[in-house]
Amino acid sequence: MALKESEAIVLRTYPLREADLLVTLFTRLEGKVRGVARSAKKSKRRFGGALEPLTYVRAFYEDRERQELARLDSCEVLESPLAAEVSYPRAVALSHVAELLDELLPDREPNDAVFRLVISVLAGLRGSDLWMPVTYFDLWMTRLMGYLPELSECNVCGRALNGSRAFFHALADGLMCAEDKRLASSEMSSESRKLAARMFLAPVEGFAGTPWPKAQGADLRKFLIQALQRHIEKKLVTAVMLERISS
Amino acid sequence: MSRFAEPMARLIEELKKLPGIGSKTAQRLAFHILRSNDDDAEALAAAVRDVKASLRLCSVCNNITDVDPCAYCASATRNQRLVCVVEEPTNIASIEKTKHFNGVYHVLHGLISPLHGIGPEQLRIANLARRVEAGQLDEVIIATNPTVEGEATATYLSGQLRRPGLKVTRIAMGIPVGSDIEYADEITMLKAMEGRREL
Repeated sequence: MALKESEAIVLRTYPLREADLLVTLFTRLEGKVRGVARSAKKSKRRFGGALEPLTYVRAFYEDRERQELARLDSCEVLESPLAAEVSYPRAVALSHVAELLDELLPDREPNDAVFRLVISVLAGLRGSDLWMPVTYFDLWMTRLMGYLPELSECNVCGRALNGSRAFFHALADGLMCAEDKRLASSEMSSESRKLAARMFLAPVEGFAGTPWPKAQGADLRKFLIQALQRHIEKKLVTAVMLERISS
Repeated sequence: MSRFAEPMARLIEELKKLPGIGSKTAQRLAFHILRSNDDDAEALAAAVRDVKASLRLCSVCNNITDVDPCAYCASATRNQRLVCVVEEPTNIASIEKTKHFNGVYHVLHGLISPLHGIGPEQLRIANLARRVEAGQLDEVIIATNPTVEGEATATYLSGQLRRPGLKVTRIAMGIPVGSDIEYADEITMLKAMEGRREL
């Protein structure tokens, strides 16, 4: 079979046999593809540092008859996370992006909107700011996967929430008004709802340059993570680690 | 019903748990052990038992050792004020092969790996921090792998260990000796340029 060529983001690698790696790629051409990179651990010539998580690469691979896993022939680095300093918070943020993509994207379904989102968010994560790109990514991923409920009305009674208090709960979809909120609900501030509305209208670069403390949009991120976890029916490992980062 | 007698099936099952050992290899090894003489089989069993019974982690550097402190930490000829931080005990052998490092080691037994839920608190760095705190060190060389996880660990450690009078350094990255610049990928070349030295 002929070699396929596609821009791709490396999501994860797992050791396989003595020196091979099982690689999960998010390709622009075919969506999420799993493949085997033969001798990737021993010989760095064909792959070099290209198989590090969240590396933006040009991947060359081929499908094999009656086999689910592709054969990864080589990768050319287009942009590496190692080009900028990898601090602990940045490593957690990058892993969060990789985990969400791996958990949410179906196999072999191209999604150009998500691909463009990842490229712009990765550029945002090259700077020192972490919380803005992470919030932007979580919000847009939830929306693009079709898991984002309406943020302007109560999910129970349908009343408009504009200007009034809004609540959310880990086990319930959407936002609720003060009358319909469940026990142990958390509140989402109107600032965070306005922030979400602004994020739907502007690219990630539009928010760069202004200081963004962890507290800003924290309630929105919590709401989004809860929504995603409800849909994938499991806890996101990196969400807990993000929460533990102090600033 | 198993194709093999119960003790044989059990041995094959145990061997299959070893990394890189599949069913066929496990069967081959099991039959080899069966065919070997009693002394060899007993020596293998005793070696496996001993490795678990007598080996432990060095209380100073976390290296795997049968005596505490380990041979490096107890050595009077090695520079005890120069510490090289590595990910795994097996990394020590690679550095020792150079015959140019006369300091001691500190083994982390892992790297920060957010995708696996491993944060800094899971790394074995408390005893290293104590040595730094006590002013026992002049230099800490961080020799973790040049990967995202290795870099995140190195950056975290350098932030935690930095003290006046202590030098924290990172091993160099770049073009492998004997290779060709033409085949170096962009990121390796970038690191090589960043880490250049004056001649």
